[in-house]
Amino acid sequence: MSELFGYIVSGLVTGAVFAVMASGLTLSYSATGVFNFAHGAVGFLAALLFFELNAGLGLPAWTAGLVAVGLFSPLLGYVLHRAMFRGLAQAGETAQIVGTIGLTIALPALGLWIVDLVAEPFGLPRADATSLPHGLGPYPAVTFTFGGVHLDSDQLITFAFAVLAAAGLWAFMRHTPYGLRMRASVDRRRLATLRGIDADASSAMAWTLGSALAGLAGVLAVSTLGLDSTAFTVMLFVSATAAVFGRLRSIPWTFAAGLGLGVVQNLVAGYADFAEDVTGLRTAVPVILLFAGLILLNRSKERVAGSAAEDAPPPDHLAGLPMWRRRLPWALGLAVLLAWTLTRSADDFYVSVVAQGLVLALIFCSFVVVTGIGGMVNLAQASFASMAALTCGWAFSSGLPLPVAILLGVLGATAVGVLVALPALRLGGRILTLATLALALLADQVLFQIDAFSNGTIGWPLPAISLGFTDTTDPRVRVVLLLALIGLVGLLVRNLERSASGRAVLAVRSAPAAATTSGVSAPRTKIMLFALASGIAGLGGVLFATFKGSVTATDLPAFAGFVWLAVVVLQGVRRIGGAVLGGLIAAVFPELLAGWHISAHAGAILFGLGGMILARHPDGVLAQMAESRYRRRVGRQRREGAAAIQREAAAAAAPVTAAVAAPRPEEGRPVPDALFRLENVVAGYGDVTVLRGVDLAVRPGEVVALLGANGAGKSTTCAVAAGDLPVTAGRVILDGVDVTSWPAHRRAGAGVLLAPEGRGVFPGLSVDENLRTWLADPGPVYERMPQLARRRGVAAGALSGGEQQLLTLAPALVRPPRVLIADEPSLGLAPLVAEQVFEVFAELRARGVALLLVEEKATSALRLADTVVFMRLGRATWTGPRAEVDGARLAAAYLGVS
Amino acid sequence: MRRQAVRLIGLVTAAALVAGCAAAQKNGAGAPGEAAGAAGVTDTTVTVGGVLTKTSASGYSTKDAEIGARARFQRANEAGGVHGRRIEFAGAEDDNQDAAKGDAAAKKLVQRDKVFALVPVHAPNFGGATFLEQQGVPWFGWATGPQWCGTETGFGYNGCLAPKPGAGSQTWWGNQMAELIGGSAGKSVYIQTTDSSGSKYGGKTISQSFQAAGFTLAGLNSGLPAAAPPPDWLPYVNKIMTSDGGEAPDLVVSIIAGTKFNTGLYAALKKAGYKGLLSDATSYDAAILKDPATAQALEGVIAAPMFEPFESQAPEIAQLRADVEKAAPGTALTQHLAIGYWAADIFLKVLEQTGRDLTRERFLATANGSFTYENAGFGRIRYPRDHTEPNGCGALVKLEGGAFKVAKNMKCFDNVPLR
Repeated sequence: MSELFGYIVSGLVTGAVFAVMASGLTLSYSATGVFNFAHGAVGFLAALLFFELNAGLGLPAWTAGLVAVGLFSPLLGYVLHRAMFRGLAQAGETAQIVGTIGLTIALPALGLWIVDLVAEPFGLPRADATSLPHGLGPYPAVTFTFGGVHLDSDQLITFAFAVLAAAGLWAFMRHTPYGLRMRASVDRRRLATLRGIDADASSAMAWTLGSALAGLAGVLAVSTLGLDSTAFTVMLFVSATAAVFGRLRSIPWTFAAGLGLGVVQNLVAGYADFAEDVTGLRTAVPVILLFAGLILLNRSKERVAGSAAEDAPPPDHLAGLPMWRRRLPWALGLAVLLAWTLTRSADDFYVSVVAQGLVLALIFCSFVVVTGIGGMVNLAQASFASMAALTCGWAFSSGLPLPVAILLGVLGATAVGVLVALPALRLGGRILTLATLALALLADQVLFQIDAFSNGTIGWPLPAISLGFTDTTDPRVRVVLLLALIGLVGLLVRNLERSASGRAVLAVRSAPAAATTSGVSAPRTKIMLFALASGIAGLGGVLFATFKGSVTATDLPAFAGFVWLAVVVLQGVRRIGGAVLGGLIAAVFPELLAGWHISAHAGAILFGLGGMILARHPDGVLAQMAESRYRRRVGRQRREGAAAIQREAAAAAAPVTAAVAAPRPEEGRPVPDALFRLENVVAGYGDVTVLRGVDLAVRPGEVVALLGANGAGKSTTCAVAAGDLPVTAGRVILDGVDVTSWPAHRRAGAGVLLAPEGRGVFPGLSVDENLRTWLADPGPVYERMPQLARRRGVAAGALSGGEQQLLTLAPALVRPPRVLIADEPSLGLAPLVAEQVFEVFAELRARGVALLLVEEKATSALRLADTVVFMRLGRATWTGPRAEVDGARLAAAYLGVS
Repeated sequence: MRRQAVRLIGLVTAAALVAGCAAAQKNGAGAPGEAAGAAGVTDTTVTVGGVLTKTSASGYSTKDAEIGARARFQRANEAGGVHGRRIEFAGAEDDNQDAAKGDAAAKKLVQRDKVFALVPVHAPNFGGATFLEQQGVPWFGWATGPQWCGTETGFGYNGCLAPKPGAGSQTWWGNQMAELIGGSAGKSVYIQTTDSSGSKYGGKTISQSFQAAGFTLAGLNSGLPAAAPPPDWLPYVNKIMTSDGGEAPDLVVSIIAGTKFNTGLYAALKKAGYKGLLSDATSYDAAILKDPATAQALEGVIAAPMFEPFESQAPEIAQLRADVEKAAPGTALTQHLAIGYWAADIFLKVLEQTGRDLTRERFLATANGSFTYENAGFGRIRYPRDHTEPNGCGALVKLEGGAFKVAKNMKCFDNVPLR
């Protein structure tokens, strides 16, 4: 019993380090939506700096720790935010995952490279397995005894810091304006910017804090882990388990789960002797828990595969080119490669490098299927390849003929692929990615450790594949064989995209629910994708092994799969060309570096830079090349188009004015005393132009009602006015200042408030917190609206629709903006509540606010309006005083008859 | 569309056939040049290069082996080479502890750099074994993995350290320890390994070594997570402290690579009041002495190197120190350096016995034809016998008062069949 007690207490204390790391992970994920695989790498860098400062430069441990955790880590977080995460947040899931995986490889390499460079001249210790970093506390550690449990000073310091960090983090998030802004940005990023919150600055804050927590965890852990970046990555996976048990949202739960993991590890180590015979099972306990947590706690309700909204395919910029022109570069490349290969000798080293690259390319083609087409990020691809190769080796060594063994290998991988697809049926997005990660680690740590399957560390020998007249010991044969196979896979992929199955895949990817109602079986589609992808990866793995002559369990480690994914996505994961290029680069590039005597670290660092490229160009290098070509051609056309639309609008304005019986003075021109004005604005989404030259002016104390049918461009006008959507041409003027280039949060700061369509509240924040996003003190609101005061602690999402709309507008009553833009304020409200809302507008008008009111229900808006603007097809077709609006004009505006 | 696809398949297939035929023809033509077997050899030179794990994600590095080999080759060259041929040492490739990279490195050395042999090969996950065996290229180094064993071309400087069941397994560690502490009678030993198949295998051979020397096995535990040191040692230490009928054992042997693991385990044991002996294979490391606090934590540990310790008075060791000082002044002597040095030394011995007429075939015939070489530096080596079992020799070093002291000089013992 006392032994058990000891395990629990000691486990809680040592679990603290997981808790700190996991809290940072949860914080940055919940605040920015990017799951940072590089969190452990940041910890490693902080630990490395701490070690060099402490052991190298002789700084006292506390000073070194302060510099590493308090100064360096936050700074690193900020720099990464500026260089990468900011772009990644909008870049779609695949790019996010790959970008941070790139960092996981690059950051430690960068640190070690710098240490390599400066170690000699400055007499600093090298950071390798022989380095023995100390902790923050005394060394050797002092031991204390609590109720029979021995705890040393390092453990206690870790625990104390973890508790402090958790308490500080909680207080920061709950009780400071920064925390509130961060949570508001997480809850509804767009709305937050409309409330004047700089969401970008909030993300920067989240990354800075998250990075500091990673640094703290790194410095606390380094005395146990040593300067081993793999160990830090392993710690990240354990921490990810804790974060998953906190559902990637709740920091307190994450923290508790981290402590719990420490206990679980102790109990497993202490009592799970029955697992002795299964090598690796006990090591894999956190991974098993990770998988279980993902399956049980994180069912994705909305998004099951990557959805089109977040991961939209790029437009095909080469669509205008003839087929032969699109194929020409590839055909030329193929011809050059074949010609070069066939003129080399049979034992030429570089041909074998190219052959190696093409094997990788074949494996990479599987990413094109599952990620490029299916929109699911799979980190277990290396395990599929390894699985196939080992199965093939095992079958061949058991006496089966080679072709049968190869077939078995590929089938084995396909079967495992189907197994992996099963969790994919209920998981989506990052959760699925984490699940495949867990399975990959599980395969590495348990399955491939089974001697009967992997033949221990020696592995299985495999003969060359004989083609009758020649065999694959000749690398030239390999190159040709692989090119043929990749060509076949390319055809397969193309046919898949164009077939009914392809359309089914696209349907499931874009809108799973809609696909289901249309009779497309989502499970069948996903299983097919996984089976196909793992079959291809398996074939690649088998060829990899036969060309190498043998296969061992460590030939294709799980981590290789991460690097592969990074390489492919960097080139472009949606096309076979990207896979081929990626494979060749992965094989040839390290050889080139070695040939130029550049440190192997440099190659790893370049992967990290690749992540930064992805942040800007999420669809990879190939798509980027096509896009820049397209831009050169189209950019000028588009600018000219916008100007043409403006000219046309100006010309159209004249007859409209003439048609009005009593035109207002200077109609169509700037209203002299207007506070807020749109001048000949052209704007749209992507290639679609919505606003085609809109002029609009609002004076202080005036209500301008913007009326028009569905699709006239009313909401787009609102978005442009608030700075939510950039304009293609034209200007936005506030009080004589051109604010066209100001982002939404800056316009909000200057007094332009948009109450967006639907409810403008943060559903996850309480009523009180909602008010605080615009007001320093919500007291006056409660005095005016006692119904809100009664529910101040309730989450805004739990309020009724009317209460939510009042909550949206209430802050404006206490701190009136200069311009209030209300988009469909009465939508979905009971008539009585709508009445209340319009009373608020009347009051605001009386206080001198310039109001722009967008309504589909014309009658209620007309009662309030001073000026009325009708919109149709992206233009203001009629502007005039309220008095001149009658039934005929309304009908004309809505029905488009004149 | 469909027709185009068919045409593409046709094109690719045709290209494949043409290319295949061309390749087959060239293959036939190229063969005779290969048969001369004089790759890497000229009248005045023999070219060699090595594969090491210079950098790895875990921080493990064997890069010092390059210095050791270079120092040994430099002395040979200064003495006029071997049979009039200088040793051209092309340096060592880095395999990043990645089997596929090791394979590529071996191919690069053989195909592009045209080396005669690979010296030193010191990489735990070396992946080039199959290729080298196929090509008949000799490779010398530290045979820690099964890929070395049973080959005709892979020469471990102290034999094959991963024998198959039934083949000979070392007893020197147990026997040396028994001699050091005045007999093994009534003494218990506890062996700690990590949860990976390689480490478990090590636990098996070493527990056998101690049992053969007369120790009682109090426990063999492989519960430690393989990937990273555990944050909490308590459960492991609890098991050790009660393993010998509720008492602590007399000796704890750690089969864990990595000083961080070992210092963690020893510190935790001492915290729990362990007073017995500690032994492992990796603590003989000058880096430990640089850090007084770590040296203090490891005080009393008996390390078991598989070469004569640098503190030894043997003339061979004085020679090693002088060679290294000449080739790379001021270099700290490490385990990996010694391994590179002795691997090079054995290679030179075979080269010398092969004679002036040098081909890979003749070299291998000499090495595998009852080759025996004794040297105080590593004991003795006998090929082909030591292709399948370890040479059975080792030394003990004790960390005492912040310095390493030779506890037992290099000595060889008879192997016993591995169960």
